[in-house]
Amino acid sequence: MTVIEKRSVEPLLPMTPAMFHVLLALADGDKHGYAIMKEVTRLTDGAVSLSAGTLYGILRRLESEGLVVENDERPAPELDDERRRYYHLTEFGRRVARAEAERLEDMVTLARSKKLMVKVRPV
Amino acid sequence: MSPQRNTFADRAFRFLLRFFPSEFRGDYGKEMEQVFEAQRREARKDKGGAMRLWWETIAGIFTTAPREHVEMFRQDGGYALRMMRKNIGFTVLVISILALGIGANTAIFSVINGVLLRPLPYADGNRLMTLDQTAPHSGQGSQRFSVHEIDDIRAQSQTLESLVEYHNMQFDLLGVGDPQRINTGVVSANFFDVLGVRPLYGRTFVPDDDKPGAPAVLVFSYDYWMKVYGGDPKILGTTYRMNDKMHTLVGILPAMPQYPDENDVYMSVSACPFRSNPNFIANRQARMMTVFGRLRKGRTIEQAQSELTTLESRFQKSYPDDYPAELDWTLEAGLLRTQLTERARPTFMILLGTAGLVLLIVCANVANLVLSRQLRRGREMAVRSALGASRARLLRQVVTESTMLALAGGVIGLLIAWGAMQILVDFAARFTPRAPEISLDSNVLLYCLGISVFAGILFGSIPQLGSNSNLATPLKEGAAQGAAGSRERLRSALVVAQVALSFALLAGAGLMLRSFYKLVTLDPGYKSENVVSMLIQLNFTRYGGGQIGKVRSFHDRLLERVKENPGVISAALALTFPLNDRAPRAIGFQIEGKPNTTGQPQPTFDLQSVTPEYFETVGIPLVRGRFFSYGDGPDKPDAAIVNLAMARHYWGNDDPIGRRLTTDGGKSWETIVGIVGDEKQVALDKPSADELYVTQAQNPTGETSLLVRTQQNPMTLTKKLADDVHAIDPEQPVARIRTLEQLRQKSLASPRLTSYLLGLFALLALVITAAGIAGVMGLFVNQRIKEIGIRMALGASGGSVMWLILKKGLLRVGIGLVIGLLGALAGTRLLATLLFGVEPYDPITLASVTVLLLAVAALACYGPSRRATTVDPLTALRSE
Repeated sequence: MTVIEKRSVEPLLPMTPAMFHVLLALADGDKHGYAIMKEVTRLTDGAVSLSAGTLYGILRRLESEGLVVENDERPAPELDDERRRYYHLTEFGRRVARAEAERLEDMVTLARSKKLMVKVRPV
Repeated sequence: MSPQRNTFADRAFRFLLRFFPSEFRGDYGKEMEQVFEAQRREARKDKGGAMRLWWETIAGIFTTAPREHVEMFRQDGGYALRMMRKNIGFTVLVISILALGIGANTAIFSVINGVLLRPLPYADGNRLMTLDQTAPHSGQGSQRFSVHEIDDIRAQSQTLESLVEYHNMQFDLLGVGDPQRINTGVVSANFFDVLGVRPLYGRTFVPDDDKPGAPAVLVFSYDYWMKVYGGDPKILGTTYRMNDKMHTLVGILPAMPQYPDENDVYMSVSACPFRSNPNFIANRQARMMTVFGRLRKGRTIEQAQSELTTLESRFQKSYPDDYPAELDWTLEAGLLRTQLTERARPTFMILLGTAGLVLLIVCANVANLVLSRQLRRGREMAVRSALGASRARLLRQVVTESTMLALAGGVIGLLIAWGAMQILVDFAARFTPRAPEISLDSNVLLYCLGISVFAGILFGSIPQLGSNSNLATPLKEGAAQGAAGSRERLRSALVVAQVALSFALLAGAGLMLRSFYKLVTLDPGYKSENVVSMLIQLNFTRYGGGQIGKVRSFHDRLLERVKENPGVISAALALTFPLNDRAPRAIGFQIEGKPNTTGQPQPTFDLQSVTPEYFETVGIPLVRGRFFSYGDGPDKPDAAIVNLAMARHYWGNDDPIGRRLTTDGGKSWETIVGIVGDEKQVALDKPSADELYVTQAQNPTGETSLLVRTQQNPMTLTKKLADDVHAIDPEQPVARIRTLEQLRQKSLASPRLTSYLLGLFALLALVITAAGIAGVMGLFVNQRIKEIGIRMALGASGGSVMWLILKKGLLRVGIGLVIGLLGALAGTRLLATLLFGVEPYDPITLASVTVLLLAVAALACYGPSRRATTVDPLTALRSE
């Protein structure tokens, strides 16, 4: 069992929506900052739009908590901008994102039990 | 490599990034620029997209940047707390030193805030003005105002509104136990309205109260009401007899600082027998009242002054007999706020400056301690730097730590200031009636916070001036390596600064203490031991109105009874006596055969009217001629005695005995029969004025003070003396029972406390500086153990090693002394107004301070230099 696996996710929950969206954006692969921004906008249909200041404040927090690390692997130079940094969701970050999703799922289930939500919206 | 773009938008974005902490910028700045660049390209495709993007970006930065700063502070704060706990001894030492410096500053600022900075506790206090009518060539101070003059100013002034008149008298209040002599403020009906004072109970005065013949009403002050009636509101409506007239109590005032005097009760002008007298009202020269008012909105004090000057000229033209031209009449306006505080300002500002110097010494001392500790933390800093911490980040960490230490010191300093509050209020009360307004309010708390943060930043960042730009150096060179040259120079500079500042403080304190000593040992010209005084103001309705025989009879019978008391050596009655807090009565005169020059100010003397045993009772010596005797009766030629100052002033080396002078234009003449020694009539630090004594028998006054010299403590006889007064007149109150020694001590109280405070600050500075010198020299020895070992191995004696260390220390002290001396020469002249008998450049004081500092510094250096001689060369050579 690694040290990271022993670490509890509870202290980091609940997450802010913006933070969760960033983790979601990284769930299917490493991305640089602008790509994360675009992915969040796409996933939320434009409902959530992260400014540069907000995004990097989130990334700093995620890095300091060990949910995200910088990936040293870079694409070919002709496709790259050296100013970019590529972010990778760590295993711990994945566990935290999963825990947050389960927490939100529990809340949706509760809302359904109270008949607040009756239809399952298409994803 | 992508070139850095430099369009306006890029520059603007880079400017916005500056709101983030430097470390954040270092980590993400370039990437954020790249992202924003991409966003701008995308935004150009939409109409209004660029504007939206800028708006969202700015909002995001201003939301996120403060959070980053707070997070960084939280991390630094947590680290600082851990370090403080780990080095608890250092932490306690630093906090204690800082608490003293910050506490002293906070305490003094609380006084300045309460007295000088706070608005007056009256409605629209900044527009309240005082008026003063003077005739400088009359030899008297303020002339005050008559009823006519007040009415004329009220009617003709366009710049002043709501003019208020005030005068203070002492009346007898009967109907409450023993007759009481009470301070009474006689005021116009709008007095409390203009000050914006609402009564606590009942009402204040209304315009109908001012009408002639109106029912007599009273308002009690809060302090008097609490002292005499325990705060019982049911006394409203009670009637009292004052001046043979019944007065009804209609109101009680709230607790408030009273202006111009602390009064027990207030009455309306129609109830005052003097003020309401038709002859008094009709006489333009019957000047008794103080006047103040409010500046009209939109008018300036300069406009008011210009108008008053015009009015005074108009009065002089219209009533030339009431304004003799040679006296040079003027009418002046001033801010009430200034009048209440001008006496206090110089002393308080000097104390604040002194406390500020102490704080600088504290900061320099603590900076040296931090610098010394930096050597031990050098490795830690180097490791953190190697792990990626920028220099700015490390500096921020160090300054956060120092600021937290300073804030902790500030909290304790605040407690020190709170503990000293009552002493400071009592001290300030000697200078200004605003003393009760001194408190630890939000301004003082902000000040304490401000100087704590300032001190923390100062002593946290100073040591960084001497730190190596390559933070990894300590890893390469090892911890035992001697301090870099720049650190050594910085430490020396801090010691020099402490010595220089301490010298300035010690010089100032030394001058004040010498000045105070001169005051204490000054011969006041009389003997104050075992003499008690009590004020007897005869009721003018029963003794006034020309009933001189009744006054003389009262005086004679009283002295006869008093002298029969066992233990009484002598007794006398006098109009005033030394250091009495009553203004002298200046009288113009003319010497026989020496007419006064027209257009020149009339000569004046301070009048004193006494019974024959006065000089013996108070202990004033006879210089030439004779004292008064009971033979100088009302049917004998008027006799006078002058003091030495007056004799020298007007007769020089000639003998004034037998010469005559007049005070009423020649209608009557006084013959000088004796010369007595000068005494300090008004204040110990003021020169003796020209004084002329006349006898009570020939010039009786309804107001006198009974003075009794006794064999034992005179306060044991006061009840008996009061009984002697009441045996003659049961309704005659006695007041102001004090010994002459109490009055002398009271006059010394302010210079005493000022010099003690300065002395305390200077002592604090000296102790801190000595500790600083000892600390630096100790470190110096530690860092040169190897060198000392080598010297001793090569044959150097203990004495030469000791001298080497001492020389190093005393060189720094010497430089500090020279700088301090120059600073003291520039700064001590600010003390000139507070000094008595001592010049600001007094060489004895400056020399004494130099010797003291050198001695203390030598003592501080002795320990480390002695320790250096005990170094074992073999051990030293093996040490790292």
